[in-house]
Formats: sequence, C-alpha cells, structure tokens
Amino acid sequence: MAAQRTASVVAALLGSLFLLFLVAPIGRLVVGGGKAGVAELFTDTELRSSLWLTAVTATLAMVAGALGGTPLAYLLARRPFRGKAVVAAVLDLPLLIPHPVAGIALLLILGRQSAVGRALLHAGIQVAGSPIGIICAMVFVSAPLYISAAREAFARVDPRYESVARTLGDPAWRAFRRVTLPLAARGLIAAAVVMWARAVSEFGAIVILTYNPKVASVLSYDRFTGFGLTEALPVAAVLSILALIPLIALRALRPDRGAGLDV
Amino acid sequence: MIRVAGLSARVGNFRLRDVSFEVPSGEYGVVIGPVGSGKTTLLETIAGIIRPHAGSVMLDGRDVTGAPPERRRLGIVYQHSYLFPHLSVADNVAYAAAEPAFAVRIAERVGARPLYDRPVGALSGGERQLVALARAFAVRPSVLLLDEPFSALDPRTRTQARRAVRALHRELGITVLQVSHDFTEAGLLGDVAVLLDQGSVLQSGPPDALFRQPATPYVAEFLGAENVLAGTVRALGTGWPDGAEEQGAKKALARAHRPLEFRVGPLTIYTVGDASEGDMHAVIRAEEIVLSREPSPTSARNHFGGTIREIATTGALTLVTVDIGGIALVASLTTRSAEELALARGVRVYASFKAMAVHLC
Repeated sequence: MAAQRTASVVAALLGSLFLLFLVAPIGRLVVGGGKAGVAELFTDTELRSSLWLTAVTATLAMVAGALGGTPLAYLLARRPFRGKAVVAAVLDLPLLIPHPVAGIALLLILGRQSAVGRALLHAGIQVAGSPIGIICAMVFVSAPLYISAAREAFARVDPRYESVARTLGDPAWRAFRRVTLPLAARGLIAAAVVMWARAVSEFGAIVILTYNPKVASVLSYDRFTGFGLTEALPVAAVLSILALIPLIALRALRPDRGAGLDV
Repeated sequence: MIRVAGLSARVGNFRLRDVSFEVPSGEYGVVIGPVGSGKTTLLETIAGIIRPHAGSVMLDGRDVTGAPPERRRLGIVYQHSYLFPHLSVADNVAYAAAEPAFAVRIAERVGARPLYDRPVGALSGGERQLVALARAFAVRPSVLLLDEPFSALDPRTRTQARRAVRALHRELGITVLQVSHDFTEAGLLGDVAVLLDQGSVLQSGPPDALFRQPATPYVAEFLGAENVLAGTVRALGTGWPDGAEEQGAKKALARAHRPLEFRVGPLTIYTVGDASEGDMHAVIRAEEIVLSREPSPTSARNHFGGTIREIATTGALTLVTVDIGGIALVASLTTRSAEELALARGVRVYASFKAMAVHLC
C-alpha cells in the first residue's frame, strides 16, 4: 500500500513538472506580451493583416485538405486495395520530414524554376511568394493530420450502417452522404480543426516558399530577427492567445461524446 | 423466390463453399447453424454486400449476382438493428418508404409506432429491433433477410414480433430468409430450413424432414437428437411383396421399406429403409421411445430391458436415460408419466420403439 502511495506521489510530481514545462513558457509569453499584443491589434496594421492572412490561408488550406483528404481517408478506412500500406506510409511522410525540407521540396516542384511553376506562371498563377504558396505549404504539412484523424473517424462508424442504407435503396454515394458522413461528422470536424490549427502554426515550409506576404508565424520571426525580443513579444503573445480558439473547439468536439455508434 | 446456386465467397480467412438451396416465392426460409458457420456471411452475399467469387443468386427470377444491394429489392435486418442514430425513430422507419402512410401502418403492425417520439439512443435492444423490422418492411421488399432479429427480444415481445413478421410476410407476399441458431425457431416459422456449418450446406428441406430424416449424425446431433448410435446395418431378405419383382413402382416402394437390422454392441435394432449394408448411424428421437415397468406385447418391433441411469426433469417433460447392456438410450416422457411409473435411478424398465422410428444415416 505504501509503495503504491509512493508511486502515485512520484507520478503526480513528474506529471506536474512536465505540465509546468509546457505551460510556463506560454504563460510567461502571455503575461509578458499579452496586454501589449491585444493593444497592437488596434494599432499595428501589419499585425492585423498578417493575422487575417493566416486565418484565411489556413481556412482555405483546411478546405482543400478536407476536399482532397476525405475521399482518401474513406478509402483507407473502408476499402482493401493493393498497396494500401504504402499509400498510408507516404501520407505520413510530410509529418516526419523537417518542415524547411518540405518547403524546399515544394519549391522544387512549384517554384519559378520548375516546369510546373513556369506553367502555372504562364497561366497567370504565381505560387511561390504568394498566398497560394502559403496555402500549398500549409496543405502539405497539415493534410496528413486531417487524413489520419478522418480515417479514424470513418473507421469508428460500423460499415453495416452503410450496408443497411444500400439495401434500403441508396446507391453508394447517397448512403455515404445520408449515413456515413453524418455519423463521422463530429470526427471529421475535429480532424479539420486539428488541421487548421497545424496550418496556423506552420513556419518552416512557408518561410521557404513564401516569405512575403507574411503570415503570423513569419511576422513574429521577422520581428524577432529584425527588432529583438521586445518587438516580437506582443505578436507571439497574440498568436498564443488565438491558439486557444481551436483548442476550445476541439474539446467541444471530443469524439467520445458520441460518434454515432450503435451500442 | 431466393435461389442460390454454387455460391462461394471469402471474408478474411472464412469461406462460404458451394452453397445451393432455394426458398420458393412467398415462403419462409430459415438458415440454422452453429456460431461461426457463415450464416451472416451468406445473408450478406445474397444481399450483395459481399461479392461472391463463384455461383449465382437469383431473386424472383432475376439473376442479381453482380447487382449492387440497392438494385436487389430486398431488406436486411441485423441482430444489432443498426438504426441510424442521427435520425429519429420516425425518420428511420420512413428512411426509404415509398409511402409515408404505409410506413406508419407497418410501424403500428410491428409495435414500433409508440416509439416514434423517443430518440433512438433511448430505445432498448428489443425496441430497436422492432423499429428495424418496421424500416425493412416499409420499403415493400420482395425479399427480406433477417439475421437473428428476435434474439434481443424478451419472450413476450419475441412472440409478438414473430407473429407480426409472419403475418406481414404472408400479406405482402414477401420471401423471407431468416438466420437462427435455434432449430425450434426454424420449426415454428420456416417452410424451408437450411443447415449450414463451416460455410457449407449440410442439408436443406422442410424443417420436419431435417428433424425426422437428418442426412448425417452431425445434423442429427445439431438438431437435438438424443440417441445417435454408431453400428452396422444388415439386410433381412428383400422384403418385396409377392410378385413385386415384375412391377416397377411397387418394387421401388418395397426397396424403400426393406427390413433391416442395426447392430450396436449387444443390441439388435429392427428397422426398415433403403440403407445399404455396412457401418451407419441410427437416430432415434427420445419422444419415440416408450417406457414400461413390465414387458408388454405391442406392435413395436424393438423391446429392450434395462436399468435407469439418470433422470432429468425440465418442467412438464422428463428425460430418462436407460442403460441397456452398456448402451444408453434416452426416452422423453411427461413428468406425470414418470411419476406414475415411479421411475427412479436403478429401477428396471423396458424401452420400446417401432422399426419406423429408427432413421439410418
């Protein structure tokens, strides 16, 4: 009994230290620059437009990721096919490579020197150095998170719901729309929120592909390298406060509050 | 009509092998078999949810082997109902109903109408099953596949639901194929019974034929035959009536009823049939065996004296195991008869049964 109590105390102590390690820097950041940051929201037009650009590009990246990733996640969750394990591994690859490397890889494909980049420029679409480049970088690094979570959301829905809908006369697409999609919706929205949050916080790939216009992460880095810690602090603090929004949304969408499983 | 011919399918390591049977139009078929025998796989293959790699499925004369589930005009009700939890009970029943009024009428018939105002999540297992049945019937399918639909119901609701399903099946002319692990259910509901084991059909036909004339000792034991004895068959003459040799029909009839003896240990059991000589099994239903305290002359060809080894009473029925020269024979009689005969362990009794009560397989 005494040994069990000692173990509990040690575990609680280690847990508290770990929590402190995670919370202390952000807490210090918010305390140190939060007030100034909120005030700067009203006076600093560059900060405002940077935040606006971040929100818009992250949202568009999320939409692109959901549109492209949902069918893929469904296939991975439901259909056996040759090379499935390879596809799953390739999808996880962007999570493992350093993000500046991801930026360089994207630059090789979409930059002005590449065939695709030149073709797009010829069509009037500039990728590198434009919001489109930001969106591409965000999709590249955060879509795997969406696909992984969406795959789990689909896997949690028993395929027999869809089978029943099919026998009731629904073709495959209608059964997906009327049954599987609503039952997986909570998990899919949570996956989209995770993707959005990851896109907002992305720096490494974006800074390689599109330094200007600056998203919030690039702006805070720019202020830090250009003007020092004092100037960077309010921007960083505002970003940390805004990061709470997707976290709160995620808590509200916890899949264990009922993913529509028939139990 | 459901006609399945040479159907083979694979799900993971499980295989459905060369399954063939037919449920005529408007009739009620019951697939029985132990857990893991492939009953649900068979239903899902007929429904088009699982693609077969060989064989064919005909529904109402249409070859639907390659058709998707939505083109088969069938309904399926699983053991766990699979009601859509994001829809209300009413929306579940009306999910694919051609006429909303018909859906309401069906819900009333199966007892699901009073549940309309309750959320799906608040329904009990039995209530969910009633709603699932209503949802399947509301589409007016030509074929209905039921996967142990009554197993979650309490005895009273089960009787009501069975009655409602049977009545709707007759009224709407729907061909039904139900899966059950309970042969009693097959006897109560089925016009056709299909016995499935390890993905293969062991026997199919009217439930009474399966019950009376099991094709193999395994079938007999699965269907609850108490006495399945391994022994040797020997023919006792031709058994043909005088002059039958010249008359084909009579000869065939006589061949089906030729006298045989079946030897098991010290017992020689007399029977009739067309079984060939050699090693076989004799199946004798417990209710065919009559017990008496004294040897009494009857028309029964088989009489054996023995000692009671065990008595098991279950309500109105009593199973008595009699040891006859080391061979155990189980007789089923009413508890009242057992009491009147003052049967007890160690008491000497006489077991009698007719030659016709012995089925060889």
